[in-house]
Amino acid sequence: MRFSDMKHHIFPAALCGMLLFLLLPSHPALAAGSEAVVQTAWWAWVIGLFVFTFLLGIVAVVAGVGGGVLYVPIVSSFFPFHIDFVRGAGLLVALAGALSAGPPLLRKGLANLKLALSMALIGSISSIAGALAGLAMPEKAVQIALGATILAITVIMYTAKNSAYPEISEPDTLSKALHIHGIYYDEHLKKDVSWQIHRTPVGLLLFILIGFMAGMFGLGAGWANVPVFNLVLGAPLRVSVATSVFVLSINDTAAAWVYLHKGAVLPLIAVPSITGMMLGTRIGAKLLTRVHTSVVRRVVIALLAVAGLRALLKGFGI
Amino acid sequence: MAEMKETQHADRVQLAYAGVLAIASNLGIVFVAAGFLVYVFRLLPLSVPVEQVASLWHLRASELHALIHVPSGWNCLQELGRGDALSYASIIYLSSVTMFCLLSAASAFFRGKDYIYTAISLLQLAVLVFAAAGIVSGGH
Repeated sequence: MRFSDMKHHIFPAALCGMLLFLLLPSHPALAAGSEAVVQTAWWAWVIGLFVFTFLLGIVAVVAGVGGGVLYVPIVSSFFPFHIDFVRGAGLLVALAGALSAGPPLLRKGLANLKLALSMALIGSISSIAGALAGLAMPEKAVQIALGATILAITVIMYTAKNSAYPEISEPDTLSKALHIHGIYYDEHLKKDVSWQIHRTPVGLLLFILIGFMAGMFGLGAGWANVPVFNLVLGAPLRVSVATSVFVLSINDTAAAWVYLHKGAVLPLIAVPSITGMMLGTRIGAKLLTRVHTSVVRRVVIALLAVAGLRALLKGFGI
Repeated sequence: MAEMKETQHADRVQLAYAGVLAIASNLGIVFVAAGFLVYVFRLLPLSVPVEQVASLWHLRASELHALIHVPSGWNCLQELGRGDALSYASIIYLSSVTMFCLLSAASAFFRGKDYIYTAISLLQLAVLVFAAAGIVSGGH
């Protein structure tokens, strides 16, 4: 079978694999700390994590969802690792994805460094605070807060209507002072599109909140960065998505260092996750034009809702 | 033609940042994968056996570190002859890539006499160095 033929089967297989994980009942083997977990060979968990994150990477790209936001709630619910290590790995998964996606976005002029740096400076400080707060909280409180956050993200993803080319009548004073504006070549329109932003102070306040939550839960924050850039600041959607990658790489770097110093990063968990996700996203990118992304997106939003609900129930000890 | 159109709007600073990022992140992925293979195939001696780490990964990070001495923070650099410390050091490297890029951006902004963004880049770098130093998180 040629790869071009295989492409039609890879995505359904990836989705089925993920569903299989999610539909598993709360078997004792999956409950952290149980004897069954100790008896299971460590390499089985490591290989399982690699395979799972590989499938997650495929599904995440096709659905247009950051892998980091799916990784933490699902892995913390279905693998025997403590949520401290899952959050540490989650930040590194999101960071590795952002680093590898970055160069072409900058070279094409889609990502804007001035916009990213202006927002990331304040966001990275709050992500350090979020990481410290998250690692100091009791486990059950983290699970409850994570579950509630994931369910809120599900609602945002389901209801948010992005605007491809927002109309800005007048840029605000701060964005003018910081020279935040740009121009890029739009493949769809086949012409140059110039853009500017407004409501910069509101955006800065929202990035404080986003940075804090990203650090606290180890989530990549594309789900929040993109709507703020696009709907609040008024940047075009393509610029918002591309610039979000850089804000994420800076904020996640800041928070990841806190997790590294607090001992919440284990290579046994982090490395299979990083490599699995990166391989999966590369395959997913090749499949983008061959599957119905809107249907996949709805399925992934449903998966996210299930994972959020499980985290919430786990927090309540149910 | 379309590719030429796309790249013509990237300024010098963005191209400098992209250049450093491409090299540093590719190297990072190679280091991470190679370090992990050395670790799990025990090509070098380990600080703590893999089985022992796996038997405790359900504990909080603070509880696990109270029981075993696995690499954490900068102390991994003192034990680079050990497989687990080497794998950990590769993650440390990956977490430093953004700092290399910010340094190149600050330098490019300065050469372009854009002093506002030189200052913002250096401030951002200072925040990350502060986090990396472990000052607020009790780093080693």
